[in-house]
Amino acid sequence: MNGPGALIALEEITRSYRQGEQTIPVLRGISLTIERGEFVALQGPSGSGKSTLLHILGLLDRPSGGRYRLLGDDVAGLPDDRLSELRNRTLGFLFQSFYLVPYVSALENVILPGLYGPTPGRVLRERAEQLLTQVGLGDRLHFRPNQLSGGQQQRVALARALINDPQLLLADEPTGQLDSTTSVEILELLATIHAQGRTIVLVTHDEATAACAQRRIVLHDGLVVTD
Amino acid sequence: MMAWSSLIEILRLPGRLLRMAAAALWAYKLRSAFVVCGVALGIASLTIIVAAVDGAQRKALEIVSFFGPDAAFVLGGDIRSRAVGQRNLTLSWDDTRAIRQSLPGAYLVVPMRAKSGLTAHYLENQREIPIVVGTAANYAEAWNWPLSEGRDLATEDVEHGAKVCLIGDTAARELFGNASPIGRTLFLDRVPLQVIGRLAYRGLSGGGGSIDDRIILPITTLTQRFNMSRKYFRALRVKFRDAANMPANIEGLRSLLRHQHRLGPGDKDDFTILTADEILKFLSMLKGGLVIFLGVTALVAVVVGGFVLANLFYLSVAERTVEIGLKMALGAKKRAILLQILVEAVVLTLLGALLGMALGMAMGQLLERLGVLQILFSWKVFFLSLAAAVAIGVLFGLKPARQAAALDPIAALKGL
Repeated sequence: MNGPGALIALEEITRSYRQGEQTIPVLRGISLTIERGEFVALQGPSGSGKSTLLHILGLLDRPSGGRYRLLGDDVAGLPDDRLSELRNRTLGFLFQSFYLVPYVSALENVILPGLYGPTPGRVLRERAEQLLTQVGLGDRLHFRPNQLSGGQQQRVALARALINDPQLLLADEPTGQLDSTTSVEILELLATIHAQGRTIVLVTHDEATAACAQRRIVLHDGLVVTD
Repeated sequence: MMAWSSLIEILRLPGRLLRMAAAALWAYKLRSAFVVCGVALGIASLTIIVAAVDGAQRKALEIVSFFGPDAAFVLGGDIRSRAVGQRNLTLSWDDTRAIRQSLPGAYLVVPMRAKSGLTAHYLENQREIPIVVGTAANYAEAWNWPLSEGRDLATEDVEHGAKVCLIGDTAARELFGNASPIGRTLFLDRVPLQVIGRLAYRGLSGGGGSIDDRIILPITTLTQRFNMSRKYFRALRVKFRDAANMPANIEGLRSLLRHQHRLGPGDKDDFTILTADEILKFLSMLKGGLVIFLGVTALVAVVVGGFVLANLFYLSVAERTVEIGLKMALGAKKRAILLQILVEAVVLTLLGALLGMALGMAMGQLLERLGVLQILFSWKVFFLSLAAAVAIGVLFGLKPARQAAALDPIAALKGL
């Protein structure tokens, strides 16, 4: 299954939404490949379709047309359950508003994606502790999200994204709600994770953030304008 | 290999969901408490109903075993057309003799009359005796009612109108304290009676209330000393040798009495024959009414509990949309989301069931103490309540759970 070649291969991906009688195209034919180990920034003004593209890459949305191959497999025909498994095992997500479960500890938030997979609980716990230590929260394992600062919450979310050891990390404006100092900390962590051999696709409209990436893809009106 | 690991996953998921559910329910304590209370009320009424029906069943069996499967009880008049105390007095000594002489299989025929509102005295103790029974020899044997001391009424006592009596256990205790009443003389109104036997404690009666405060004396003594008509009885107790052949025995008794009373083919019986079977039928009719009445009440209570649950879970799903979307994005399958909501619902309904059973038992104790119902708790009640709780949880949790599982992860993450 994991044959050689690109991690992600998109051919003429389109996505349009129906609004009443009108059909509004958001992606109008995107073709690109992302190799293993790349750090890619997806840029573009709001409405350019970068979030939609990230959702498609993250298997949260299905394209209206075109072909998306992840790890060499065409994902178009896969049933929802199989997409859930792929999201769980091969993808990690980082969101702008962190999305931590408010009523459980940092440790349990990190373990959460593992609970839907095959890893035994004991292993998950150890791995979660390691990851939280790695992001600098080893002394705050049992804190609730509301006891942590925004930067700390995003670091918990980063540890959570890595719990199932994914090949691809998808980040949607991960520093959008953080001040510049904490943003730099998060970006440094992303750089470390990238250095460990993981592929990262990061959506941002911020130049400084995009500057961390090795490759920039700029979208405008649903088309790639710069690569 | 793939199938094996996914099997382990499927088996492991419910336990993990249970722990997630516990955390979520604890986080939303107030809402959880409302669901638990709503379900508890339904389960409480269900508990009482099953326990009451079981209690009624046990009571019916006790009454029937007291009555005896080999016996018939003949009442004067038709009980279906007249209230107790206003029945026609139609049974006479002639009937008693006729049954004794010409009804095969009947080995005991004991006539009875009753008088109420008399007072018994012994030294300075006195007590109202609700029912004084006048009867013939072998009363204790005829009613399967053992004597704890002394002897039964004998034929001579009845023939001579002897001033002797049997006394119920409660009455004996109140008049004589802990001393043996045998051989002592009490006064029933102004009539002195020597106690010759004491009946064992029985503790129940067909109509509710005690029968251990009775005094039993020869029927001749009752009619002579208390100025009652000497010809008729209120009832006849007949015991048969062959309990297996009761329908034939009863038919024989009935045609004999019809002949004795000179009833034509078109006339109605002027007497009523009761048997254990008849009583069982009557009691089960009564029980059927009870079951329907209480059953409807319980059903309403349970459904109300279910609606409370469903509504609060709709609210919960709406409030936790982002959490559900997140879990989907992190790889939870629709099935896992559905199961999580159902597990939350069932955990709450099971807690509700435990609380409801405690509540039901407390209310049952109260009802029993007030003498309204006899309540019988059992494992059956316990497991039935748990099963009902699971059913409520699944039934009323299913729609909110399906709604949660059908959410689109992107929209849900935006809180839409």
